[in-house]
Amino acid sequence: MSAEQHHHPSPSQYWKIAGFLALVTAIEVALFYIDKELELGAMNAVLLVILSTLKFLTVVGWFMHLRYEKSLLSRFFAAGFALAMGCYVVVLAAMGVIVIRGA
Amino acid sequence: MADVHAVETDHEEHESTGVSNLKLGMWIFLSSEFLFFGALITNYLLYSNRGGFTGPYPAEVYDIPFTSVSSFVLLMSSLTMVLAHNAFSRGDQNGTRTWLFATAALGAVFLGGQVFEFTEFIVNYDMKLTTNPAASAFYVLTGFHGIHVAIGVLLLLSLWGISRARGGLSQKSGLNVEMVGLYWHFVDIIWIVIFTVVYLLSLPPA
Repeated sequence: MSAEQHHHPSPSQYWKIAGFLALVTAIEVALFYIDKELELGAMNAVLLVILSTLKFLTVVGWFMHLRYEKSLLSRFFAAGFALAMGCYVVVLAAMGVIVIRGA
Repeated sequence: MADVHAVETDHEEHESTGVSNLKLGMWIFLSSEFLFFGALITNYLLYSNRGGFTGPYPAEVYDIPFTSVSSFVLLMSSLTMVLAHNAFSRGDQNGTRTWLFATAALGAVFLGGQVFEFTEFIVNYDMKLTTNPAASAFYVLTGFHGIHVAIGVLLLLSLWGISRARGGLSQKSGLNVEMVGLYWHFVDIIWIVIFTVVYLLSLPPA
């Protein structure tokens, strides 16, 4: 068995992780319909962003094995994400699509 | 055949960074893809509910139950991909082939769903690429994602075909399985963002 295998999850753990991802997706879809009835507004948006972030990090960490890799790879990956987020949040704020308080 | 079945995952050439050049290059490429898809998502957000154009707008015609099932299919393809990688690292060539094919099949199902969705929007709702800027932004974003999925399906089928033809993937192919896996999972995480931002959170013009 390689050194890598000692750290990576087993097939049964992967199935559990996939079940968790499916559950979070189901909650997201349920929230979409709850919002239609109850008009949760900003709270709906915040909850959906939190849930999709959770799915994003789960896939990156466990399925892409980033949590088991050298930190160099995490830094490169995070840098690209941060650069994109920073760049496009500025564009969206400048165009008035998102409002930054105090700006 | 012995070399074909002697499979390890820690066979990569290591450079001064401690990570193989191919793997480092792949992570940098994926990182740069955030900028590509970020631009397309931003474009969609800029135009998704900007009024003054003829409809329909994408948010008026979405079929959320259908897209939820498509999203579930793509999410589960990440599971089959990681199981393929796991089977390969255990030297299970049959398992690797099975899970690679399952991943490609799920990707093809997702693509079929996207073709069906586009057809529905164009034929039943008359929302074409040039109907309004929101529709253009929607088709360009999801279309480019679909192209990425199609490339992934071709890569998966290539690995599957090579494995079938040679009776298994060689030790050297280990890194290829891992790289295709990384690419596939990345396509999945981009869809996680698109599903939430484009489908669940977008509103038509007031």
